[in-house]
Amino acid sequence: MGLKLAFYPGCLVLQRMPEYEVATRAVLRALGIELEIVQQATCCGSPVVESFTADWVYLAAYNLALVEQMGHSTIVTVCGGCTNTLTRAARVLQDPDLRAEVNHRLESLGLSVTGRVEVRHLVRLLAEREEKVRARIVHPLSLRVALTNPCQVFRPGDIMGFDDPMEPQSLRRLVELTGAEVVEYGGEDECCGATLYLASPDLALAAGRRKLEAVQEADLLLHGCGNCQLLLRRFQRMIVRDERNLRKPALLLPQLVGLAMGLPEGELGLREGTWR
Amino acid sequence: MNHPDECLQCGTCVTVCPVEMVGGHAIVTFLADPDATDYSVWLCTSCWRCQEACPGGVSIYELMMEQRRREEAPAGYRAAFESVLACGLALQVPQEELDQMRAAWGLEPTRLPPPGLARALLCAEDGDRW
Repeated sequence: MGLKLAFYPGCLVLQRMPEYEVATRAVLRALGIELEIVQQATCCGSPVVESFTADWVYLAAYNLALVEQMGHSTIVTVCGGCTNTLTRAARVLQDPDLRAEVNHRLESLGLSVTGRVEVRHLVRLLAEREEKVRARIVHPLSLRVALTNPCQVFRPGDIMGFDDPMEPQSLRRLVELTGAEVVEYGGEDECCGATLYLASPDLALAAGRRKLEAVQEADLLLHGCGNCQLLLRRFQRMIVRDERNLRKPALLLPQLVGLAMGLPEGELGLREGTWR
Repeated sequence: MNHPDECLQCGTCVTVCPVEMVGGHAIVTFLADPDATDYSVWLCTSCWRCQEACPGGVSIYELMMEQRRREEAPAGYRAAFESVLACGLALQVPQEELDQMRAAWGLEPTRLPPPGLARALLCAEDGDRW
C-alpha cells in the first residue's frame, strides 16, 4: 500500500502555478506517494502577514490544525516561505501557554492543534528518498542546469534541521540524480528577486537579471520554489525585454525529475516540445 | 529601531545578504552601521542568511519583523495583506475560476476558506493600525 500525505500548495501554487502541483503529484505517485490537498487552507502567514502582526502564528496554526483534523502527521509543501512559516509555527506551538491561547481561538471552528505535524518541503521529501528516486531514473538527461536553492527551506538551521543551512547540497544532488550536469555559477544562494518584488520591483528585476546574466552556460534554470519560478520564468520577459540571448527556459524540480523518470511532458505540466 | 546590544558591528551579515549583492540595502546595513539611514527593512527577503551567519547570535529576523510592524508598508505588501484579510489568500481568485483552472489541469477540486476566516483568526478589528 502506498503512502498518503497531506499537501499544502500555498497561495501562489494554488492560485497561479497549478503545473507545480501537477508535476509534484506525478513524481510522488511514481514513488508510491499520494497527496491529499488541505481543503480550505489559508495563506501560511509569512512573510506578508508576519510583517503586519505577531498574530501570524494563528493563521499558520489554523492550517496545521486542518492537517491534524485530516488525520495526517506529515504535510508536503512546495514553496520555501510556507515551509519555513509552518515549521516555525509548529515549533513555537510546543509552548503550552501559546498553544492554549491558539486553541482557544481555533475552538469556535471546531479545530485544535498540537503542532506535532512534520513539514516536508519537496526537496527534503525527495532527498530523504534518494535511492528510491535513483531507482526510478530511466531517462538520464543530458542538460546543463543552473539551480537556485529555495532560501527559506534550510534556515534557520536549528529549526529547519535539514542539510547545511548556508551551503545546502540536497537540491544539487537531486539534479545530479537525473543525469543533468549542475553548472556552478556562484549565485546558487542569491536571491531570485521574488520577495523583493513586493517592496521594490526594480530591485527584484535587477536580481533576476543578475542571475540570467550569470547562467549563460546553462541550458536551463531549475527551481525548488514557486517564487523563484514566478520571478525567473513568468517575469522573465520583463527582465530581458528584447535581449533574446538572455532568455532561458526554467523548470521546477519535479518537472526535471519527472522527465528523467520518463514521465510524459504533459503529465508534468509542461507543454509538449515547447518548454525548451 | 534600537541597535541590538549583542551586535558586534562586524559586518558578516552584509557579506551574506542577497539584497546587498544586488545593490539594495536591508536591515544588515543598519546593523553594520547604526548611523546608516539609507536602508529599508522592507527589502529583506526573509532568507535568514544574516541570522544564520551572525556571530553575535542576534535575532535579526524578529528585529526586522518588529520594525516592519511599526512602519508604513509598501504597496505590494499592503495589497497582499489586504487580500489575506479579505479571502484568506495572497491573491483573490474566485472559487469558480479556481475550479475551472484545476479541472483544466486535471486536478481535483479544492475549497477556498470561508471569507472573513483569516480576519477573524487574526482578530483584525476596525481601527487597528493595519
